[in-house]
Amino acid sequence: MYKDPKPKKITMDEWSVRFKNIDNKTIKKFVYYNNHDWGLYLQPPATFMVYGTRELRRLRFDNSLAALRMWGFVFNESERLFRARQSGKKIVATMGDLGTVSIIVMAFPDCIPFYPECIWWTPFFNESTVLLDLASELGAPEAACFSRAALAAFVKKAYFPKPDYIFASTGATCDDYSCIMQSIEHLGYDFMWLEVPLRRSPAKHVSMDSLVKTKNGFEYPRRFEEYLIKEYEKVWQKMVEITGIDDQNLLMVSIKKANQVRTLVEKIKRTTYQAGNAPFPALELMTIEFGNLYGYADMDEWIRILEMIYETIVERTKKNIGIISEDAIPIAWVNPTADPYLLDYVERIGLRVVDTEYVINQALVEIDEQIEPFRALAQSFMQASLIGSTAQRISSINKAMRTGKIEGILITNMLGGSHCAMETKLMERLLKDKPVLAIDVPAPFGITEQIKTRLQAFAEVLHERRK
Amino acid sequence: MNEGNSKREILTPRERFGLLLIDENPDRCNIIPLITSHAAHIARIPLSKYYTDGKAMAQAQIIALEEYRHDALSFFSEVGIIAEAMGSDFDYPDDDLPVLKTPALTKRSLSSIDIPDPKNDKRLPVYLEALEYAYATVGDKIPLLAYVPAPFTTGMMLSVPNTFLIQTIRHPDLVHDIMKICLQAAIEFCYHIINAGGLPIIVDPLASSSVISPKAYEEFALPYERKLIDFLHRYDLDIILHICGETEPILELLPNTGADLISLDKVDISLALDKLSKKMRIVGNFDTSKIAFSSPSEIEKEAKEMVRKGMVSSKGYIPSTGCEVPIRTPIENVKAFINSSKEIAWYWD
Ligand code: SF4
Repeated sequence: MYKDPKPKKITMDEWSVRFKNIDNKTIKKFVYYNNHDWGLYLQPPATFMVYGTRELRRLRFDNSLAALRMWGFVFNESERLFRARQSGKKIVATMGDLGTVSIIVMAFPDCIPFYPECIWWTPFFNESTVLLDLASELGAPEAACFSRAALAAFVKKAYFPKPDYIFASTGATCDDYSCIMQSIEHLGYDFMWLEVPLRRSPAKHVSMDSLVKTKNGFEYPRRFEEYLIKEYEKVWQKMVEITGIDDQNLLMVSIKKANQVRTLVEKIKRTTYQAGNAPFPALELMTIEFGNLYGYADMDEWIRILEMIYETIVERTKKNIGIISEDAIPIAWVNPTADPYLLDYVERIGLRVVDTEYVINQALVEIDEQIEPFRALAQSFMQASLIGSTAQRISSINKAMRTGKIEGILITNMLGGSHCAMETKLMERLLKDKPVLAIDVPAPFGITEQIKTRLQAFAEVLHERRK
Repeated sequence: MNEGNSKREILTPRERFGLLLIDENPDRCNIIPLITSHAAHIARIPLSKYYTDGKAMAQAQIIALEEYRHDALSFFSEVGIIAEAMGSDFDYPDDDLPVLKTPALTKRSLSSIDIPDPKNDKRLPVYLEALEYAYATVGDKIPLLAYVPAPFTTGMMLSVPNTFLIQTIRHPDLVHDIMKICLQAAIEFCYHIINAGGLPIIVDPLASSSVISPKAYEEFALPYERKLIDFLHRYDLDIILHICGETEPILELLPNTGADLISLDKVDISLALDKLSKKMRIVGNFDTSKIAFSSPSEIEKEAKEMVRKGMVSSKGYIPSTGCEVPIRTPIENVKAFINSSKEIAWYWD
């Protein structure tokens, strides 16, 4: 059995050398969908590079077997979705809500939900404009968020199979992605639209509304929750129609599974962020966070991977050994990075990510298992930063900043992206007097020396402030 | 992009190849004639530059891609590259491929032969440089096939070929010893190819039935092809095995190599489909003398006939040439092959 070396971030080439020492038994141990014929996924980054994931040549990865397992699993997702279809499972695209509708779909046996918008990383990992160029040809302007890659992927049918059905959430979700979803519907796919309410305090609007307070202290009128419950019931009915199965106990099981992931990820994040030495890299942690949405199309295997990662992190924390320099400055990261290279790069220049606002916080909180399941889902979703004000979005970061837990904030600004770019100026204003750097994420393979210099200067300023 | 057919090509060659490898029908077949040194002819560079300068090799391949719009690049010049790095001497004619001059084992004993370092030894770095250049330039859109001589073929290039064949009868143990070191050399080369972004394709022309008996193939070539493919399967790569020349007598043995795709030359395609297509994806097998010397209209007709037959293959089919496209094949002929195949090789409406 392969034994982890001293923790370190290593290059793709270094992983190839290490991979020689991994025995065949270990390689064959890890499979998705419990299938030992085509479900193997423990491969070094070089394998995915051969198949076109070009950025892997520039990135550095954690050198644990747990991290290798995670990357193999994540990069195999496209293949996994096709294999799911080939083995008779139903593939259901859930779009826009990020993390709740997928739990309903997962409740049905042999139904695999996935979020097509997550394909927005593909152009960056592939250092390729193939998907973005086609999206532009199809009418999604260059100025729209990189999630427009999903539109091209639907047309190409080479990144995921044609979904059996699509649930699309709009309303208080992202405007950019709502436009993309409409374009996808025009391609002739089977769709159900859900409306997501904006979270706002009721007092000023309808005073007789009873009030609900979320765990993070935000308020909304009860009727919003009732409304969402009706929307989720519509999803359930559609799934019943598709599968012929109607057993709400299955939804409880699905919620439990989602909670298992959420609890594990919370433990992983807490242990990592509180450790004196960073025991796990930021890029891997972001990938872990996004796994909460749908477990990269195999929740059961994803849970096993998370358990292995958690063990690795605990082990490292006990020994107080980390993967970046001990005096790295803790920062918060706002918005998903788009270009994964950025998360790797900040660690090279002495910054350490210890707090994140990736617009998916609704997928991170535990769902109440004691109340009626649709209400529990609605309540968990109503905490979403996606549907509230900018001030609410950054409130936890603001708090962490005041307590000294973080010393700087990095915002990755997606040009044209409605949630992720229009808010940047507002955030900067709300975070005034604090060290904030907002950078525009350029198109794939576009991180210039100028951007690196700005990041370096930001790191230097933070180091200076400490003196 | 779309010469020769009216359908809109929505997939890049890489996307198309990716679908084939996960048992999905792509929009149309991947069309991959073996355009190796012929690329130098298209790029109008001397062959000696093509096989000694990695950047030139890559540029020639990319120029050929622009001309033909086929579905994979083929990095290769001749089967002696590993043997050369192990000590065999080759002549480099200005406008022809390297020719074996002095085999290593006529100068030295087997025990004094080292496993070559692909980053430094002889022309192996040329291939790696070519792959790196092409990967950075077009690697997001098209697969890069890197041809690796199999142990048996390399073994024969380490020896005087006739002597080597006699040794398979008189000194089988010695041949196995040669195979073992050639296998290690091939593995080391593959390892570097993968890190440069290339997908190794194993070539074993000297193991075809035009050269050795099925029995010798089974004893000396197949087990080492298998070991090499097993090594590559650790990376979960899908591997093409290419054997040019006669293969009909060994058809039934080929699945034992473990190859995922089999590239064939002189064999009746219907017979190959019958025997192999449930176990392996089929690649092939347009007659290279026809592509060099027939008229474009004859090529079109025969290529279409071949593609029609091949497309019934249940595990997938790649229309290709049975061997390398001869260096000075007229451009119109290669285009006739590719464009006529493109016209009818559609899976999607
Ligand atoms: S703008 Fe932000 S929220 Fe909208 S799709 Fe892009 S990343 Fe997601």
